[in-house]
Amino acid sequence: MLRRAVLQTFRQGLAQSFFKRYAVSLTETTVTHQPIETSNEAGERSVPTQKTGDESRNTVVVAPPEFRFMYPEFLPDPAMETRNRLREKLERMDMLQRRSVIEIPEFYTGSIMAVTVADANSPNKFARFVGICIQRGGSGLRAWFILRNVVDKQGVEILYEMYCPLIQKIEVLRLERRLDESLLYLRDALPEYSTFPLDMEPERRLNNSVVPINPLKVKLRPRPWLERWERQNLQGVEDLNLPQRFYDKAEKVAKPWEKYDLMLHYRKTIPAEEQEKIFAEIHSQLQQQELKRKLRRRRGPDNEQ
Amino acid sequence: MATRITDVHGHPSCRLHFWWMLCAVFVHLEETCSSLEFVWNSSGFGLFFNHEQIRTMSRVKRRTTHPPYWHVLKNNQRDDEKISSDNLCFVREVIQDKYKNKSPIKGSDLDIEKTVWDPKTKRSGVIARNIGVQHMWEKDGKKVICTVLHVLDNHVVRYVPPEEYAKSVIGTKMFKNRKPLGCLVVGAEAANPDRFTRQYCSLFDEVGLLPKKRLARFIVTPNAALPPCTPLTAGHFVIGQAVDVYGKTIDYGFQGVVKRWGFKGGPASHGATKFHRRGGTIGTGRDKARVWPGQKMPGHMGSERRFNRGLKIVRINMKYNIIYVKGTVPGPTNSIVQIFDTILPRRRFTEAPPHPTYFPPEDGTLPQEDIWDSSLHVFGSPSISV
Repeated sequence: MLRRAVLQTFRQGLAQSFFKRYAVSLTETTVTHQPIETSNEAGERSVPTQKTGDESRNTVVVAPPEFRFMYPEFLPDPAMETRNRLREKLERMDMLQRRSVIEIPEFYTGSIMAVTVADANSPNKFARFVGICIQRGGSGLRAWFILRNVVDKQGVEILYEMYCPLIQKIEVLRLERRLDESLLYLRDALPEYSTFPLDMEPERRLNNSVVPINPLKVKLRPRPWLERWERQNLQGVEDLNLPQRFYDKAEKVAKPWEKYDLMLHYRKTIPAEEQEKIFAEIHSQLQQQELKRKLRRRRGPDNEQ
Repeated sequence: MATRITDVHGHPSCRLHFWWMLCAVFVHLEETCSSLEFVWNSSGFGLFFNHEQIRTMSRVKRRTTHPPYWHVLKNNQRDDEKISSDNLCFVREVIQDKYKNKSPIKGSDLDIEKTVWDPKTKRSGVIARNIGVQHMWEKDGKKVICTVLHVLDNHVVRYVPPEEYAKSVIGTKMFKNRKPLGCLVVGAEAANPDRFTRQYCSLFDEVGLLPKKRLARFIVTPNAALPPCTPLTAGHFVIGQAVDVYGKTIDYGFQGVVKRWGFKGGPASHGATKFHRRGGTIGTGRDKARVWPGQKMPGHMGSERRFNRGLKIVRINMKYNIIYVKGTVPGPTNSIVQIFDTILPRRRFTEAPPHPTYFPPEDGTLPQEDIWDSSLHVFGSPSISV
């Protein structure tokens, strides 16, 4: 079902969104959260909130395009052999149920988070860990993220399953993004880049509609490394200063044609039309949950006594 | 079930002393009295091989690509005829008229005899589709893999009483030395009659059902018989019960010996010449100097009938007709499986299940939409604190 025209617009829209979120500039780079009533800006993929021609009765509610970055685990695994629409729908319902109990905030790779988990072996039965999110993945109820920190000069990484009922609280202490989608290179970086105080306080953001991109370039330790970082096109790492032969070999094994392979990208992603449907389905529920939480927060000091 | 002891490499020096004791135990466990091979080799160890069982199994035909000879031709053999759009509409109208007034009726309208359940009753099974796997958590925080089974639109097509079924091809084999049981033919997934042959549609005509894509037979005791057109839904099963799921395993195609039988193959390096994933020796040179039937070799793997027994039902969704079973079932995602009450003796019913099947309550009250087992953590409930 490769509809070229739609794919074009999808890619344009994706490129626009990506550009906005990933653009690296010397000045502060920011990402805008668009309000729900999206405006038809020039060059951006138009997200109609009303069907033209029909009367206002037939309003089509469409979630903002940022949802695919804020809630990526709602999109199913693209592998066609295991896809089933009914099961995915039921899984989404279960995910929303869980989200009604616990707040799973918006976060990205590079955000500093604190997770409180029920642990039978801990003194107070709860274990809290603070760390930087170096990777996130999985889809549906299997969604996970890895937090990294250096505790007593020992690097520690913990993989948390987002929908596990043992998790009591997920806080985002600093919401920001880095130049890469995966920060696994922090394992080979100097420890100060992965160290965060365990009693860190949540930082208030000045501008709530903007997710800043931290243009930090990390310094790596001297070789040997865990992976061949020179082959991975990392943006968030300082110049590796390797002998030329490493870069030559990297060029030899590189696959520069992959960025032109449309079918490869099509197979790895969910089509735009389906993404719209999925997010439109969950949009209203997520909004309601958000509103309830805001109300609870406002009433918080009174209610909690 | 006793396991086979086959020696692949056949080197006498591989023999260990414990094989003596293992084989002795093996003899007691076996049901069929098969002849044991007892070979002395030069090194003095005893060798027990039981090749009889392998021989019987290797002769059994495990798969076919054609249906049994007594089946009627199912799929329409006509090529796409060039029908005009008007005629196509007319054909659709005819089909609608034919089946309009014969919609399958709810349970209360059927004249079902009130039969009593007893522990020896065999109820009908259900045809479902394996739509994938979902992870759930138990109340202590332990993660479990649950298979999601979507019970399709099952309707009973026919009931064959025991005396009649015992005379059929399969019935004679099954009930050779035991008391015959009845057979319920159940169909699932209604489809457009256009795609089937007339003979196939006639199977459903007497009953007034739209022809079904899938048919299955379930062996039932006469007291669990159901009249034709009875719908079978997810409510047929009870939370917490154990079920057996029959399916055809994933088709891996022609596979080598490492994947198919779990051989170790050869070393990847250290000078191994063209011996990385091969089987090695296939027999001894000494006695019976030939390759034994049943020798493990590359071949077709998968696409075989298998039963996963004793799977616990942990959640039922009555609205969408979904059953969640703890564990995995044979077959790939989106394949058709059959679910029945388990035959495992310790997990059978002690209390009466919905017998002969579930019917929605007559006073019109809707059943609870989502029923969870007591061991599972419900997603809408507060987080687990240990």
